[in-house]
Amino acid sequence: MSSEPLAQHALELADRALRVAEADEADVLVHAERSGLARFACSRVHQPTLIADEAVSIRVVRDGRVGTVSTNRTDDDGLREAVRRAEAAAAGAPPDHAFPGLPQPSKPPSVKGFDEETAALAPQDQAEGAWTAIEAAPELGLYGYFTSAVSATAVASTTGIAVSHAATDATVLAIAASERESGYAEATSWRAGELDPAEVAREAVEKARRTRDAEEVEPGTFRAVLEPYAFAELLWYFAATSLGALALLEGRSYFSGRLGEPLFHPSFSLADDGLDPAGFPRPFDFEGVPKQRLALVEEGVARDVVWDRRTGKRGGHDSTGHALPPAAQAAGPLPLNLSVAPGERSVEELAQAVGEGIHVTRLHYLGVVDPREGIITGMTRDGTFRIEDGRVTAPLLNLRFTTSFPALVERLLGLGREVKLTNLSDFYDERMPHAALVPAIATEALTIDGPGSSPGL
Amino acid sequence: MRDLADLAVEAAVAAGAAYADARAVSRRVQRVATKNGDVDTISDGETEGIGVRALVGSAWGFACDRRLSAEGAREAAIRAVAFAQASGAHSPRRSIELLPVQPEVAEYASPVVRDPIDVPLDEKIALCLRADETLRHADVRITSASTRAQRERRAFSSSEGARIYQELVECGGGIDALAERDGRVQIRSFPSTHGGSSAQGGWEYVEELGLEREGPRVAEEAAALLRADPCPPAVTTVVLDAEQMALQVHESVGHPTELDRVLGTEASYAGTSFLRPDDVGRLSYGSELMNITADPTTPNGLGTFGFDDEGVPAERRPVVVGGILTGFLTSRETAVATGDGAGGSMRAEGWSRMPLVRMTNLHLEPGAGTLEDLLADVDEGVYLETNRSWSIDDKRLNFQFGMQVAREIRRGRLGRLLRDAIYTGITPEFWGSLEAVAGREEWRVYGLTNCGKGQPGQHAHVSHGAAPARFRGVRVGVPS
Repeated sequence: MSSEPLAQHALELADRALRVAEADEADVLVHAERSGLARFACSRVHQPTLIADEAVSIRVVRDGRVGTVSTNRTDDDGLREAVRRAEAAAAGAPPDHAFPGLPQPSKPPSVKGFDEETAALAPQDQAEGAWTAIEAAPELGLYGYFTSAVSATAVASTTGIAVSHAATDATVLAIAASERESGYAEATSWRAGELDPAEVAREAVEKARRTRDAEEVEPGTFRAVLEPYAFAELLWYFAATSLGALALLEGRSYFSGRLGEPLFHPSFSLADDGLDPAGFPRPFDFEGVPKQRLALVEEGVARDVVWDRRTGKRGGHDSTGHALPPAAQAAGPLPLNLSVAPGERSVEELAQAVGEGIHVTRLHYLGVVDPREGIITGMTRDGTFRIEDGRVTAPLLNLRFTTSFPALVERLLGLGREVKLTNLSDFYDERMPHAALVPAIATEALTIDGPGSSPGL
Repeated sequence: MRDLADLAVEAAVAAGAAYADARAVSRRVQRVATKNGDVDTISDGETEGIGVRALVGSAWGFACDRRLSAEGAREAAIRAVAFAQASGAHSPRRSIELLPVQPEVAEYASPVVRDPIDVPLDEKIALCLRADETLRHADVRITSASTRAQRERRAFSSSEGARIYQELVECGGGIDALAERDGRVQIRSFPSTHGGSSAQGGWEYVEELGLEREGPRVAEEAAALLRADPCPPAVTTVVLDAEQMALQVHESVGHPTELDRVLGTEASYAGTSFLRPDDVGRLSYGSELMNITADPTTPNGLGTFGFDDEGVPAERRPVVVGGILTGFLTSRETAVATGDGAGGSMRAEGWSRMPLVRMTNLHLEPGAGTLEDLLADVDEGVYLETNRSWSIDDKRLNFQFGMQVAREIRRGRLGRLLRDAIYTGITPEFWGSLEAVAGREEWRVYGLTNCGKGQPGQHAHVSHGAAPARFRGVRVGVPS
């Protein structure tokens, strides 16, 4: 259990809500957030946002009927009103035969993920982070943000669970752009001190400078290098539709009926690791079940998906500690700490492996066209280049791709030796940062449909 | 709530804001969903708080606090001013000008016959279970039905003297049938794929959707798609149903006409626009049949209000007339930059997000005739129904939409069912190929609750009125 004050506060609030409930069976999830995001555009901080919130989810069980409510009115009156609504919901519901019962207490692992210096950052520091990036890119307009936060999660239940955890996160994101050029870079960590906003801005500028006078390419299937920014996003869209147990059980997942089969290149291994301090570690999920390192793909073979207790009961599988908060549990469990094993090549060597093809920095507006087959569409953006004779050369227009993720990874040409923690949060709703640890990849099978807009604003 | 918004504004001005506004908001949302005859979701959430926006010199600051108390309001105000001061510390000394607006003291409430929050949960559950039951079919593996209900109270005050209280009520519902055989999966939805459709108003909207009535057809079509041929690749005439036209308008007209995107301030997330500020009155967006209107006064629209989140009164405004771009969606700040008029499109999600330029209700105005009339003039083409996937580039030019259903059109009549269809295009070329829009009798309003934008991200609820429309020379096919 964390001794950090916000974590203690969250656990005290969870305990208080549980006492107010006076129920034979109930559990409580508390999530508290203090965040600041200094958003900038046109090299000016234009939308700086400070958020202070704490929310309580209360689940009451009566005779197999379940009622779940949430509130951010955390005084006793607010909690009592929430409990009254939860009891009314349970009373109005039919028995929930799929409900696995409340979790039993289990000692969560000890993880890192909280940094005092990051938690102490004030609005002035967040604005300063933004300005450090802006002033490192005087030659182009800079667009992006600097953000940092401290958040806390606590779970308490009538079965004896009483756990809490505080986490910090920080991200700097930058697009350097003019009317005719644009480049992208980002960095994310639970230690803000590891971020260098000026370096991120310079990386974006360097990339942007190479995107002027972009060319077209004909549609077709290309050999390609995907930088970690691009590969992480593609992986996340595949994971969100194929690597959760609900999709598996409902036959919507690419893994449905395929577990145990060699689906990908033997060099590809994928885990979900909630304990890795290189990511955003968490000791337990949103039901209080301990996190773990879970192998999803080992040397190309599909091994497992992630489970919560509800899908576990249905599928005869233990929870792997991947339950989402109650408001999102209808979507089933999700892997929020994806980690791809690195290879042995530098990015330059990946381009050499490609020979003739395309280099992709990042992607934009992905959509899953066919989840059962893992087919995903989207655009490249802010740094797409031709690879000629094993070297990154001329800039290309932003390209529409509609590609099979499984084919992309089955036909790998290589994996980068450096892994990068890539932010996957857009900070909707409550602050729950998640990110993927991925290397750059080289593949034989990126299918391009045609060109879209040019780089730049 | 109203007094707290006043107090927050006073505190922001006392701390040094040249302008400030505050929104005290209380929101309650209920969701009920069933799956395969069992209850899948019963959620009942409430959230409240106050958000304060402060302008200090050349910079904005925004801060919020969940506490609807004097202390929460004051602290949010002081933090907003402090963040504005820090954010502007390095800025060139240029002032931000806001379009003048008459400060209003007013109230607005959604017209409601039966408040959807007050409808008992067991009634909502029963409705979902009945609709779920109608989706049973030998080939349908997953049946689901859902409803949602929301009530939001907003008190807005500004340092210019505006004092506005609004109570917005909305609800919606939908059904889905997922069919599966031999590893092939097909889905049919009604009335929309995005968790159904929602509208502002009372529970009567959900009851009138006819979820139980449509269930058997939806299930039958999902099953039939398992045996359908793939949509053959072609460049051909397409007729889009009203539901897809709503999303087509949203993605390829709504977002690119948001003036903040045109000016670059959304570049780091949702993207920019292919439009330029001086395109108004000159740019040919589409054929002369293309008429687009932004209308926050639309009855039952999710983007309907008395005043936006800057206190600007709702006003119907043309965006495209006869195919020519005539205006943008604006804020008071961006409207000054272009001289484009009164704005009225600033909206914030809840209490914890800063207002952004957003769609309200953006409609494709109806043309003439029925869907049958649109089909009758097609010798060979494809009719596409109900969105399945969507993607568009950062300037809103290159789009691809996947569709749940395609049907061959031969000599003016619908023919065989086709599966897995996608269509692609480039926005002005596509709208330039518009050759017919069906009339008022086919025109429907669809409400979307998942429009994402901003950093930190926020969802907007928007509506689009549309009728089926016909386009020539469109690339269709299946994903490779």
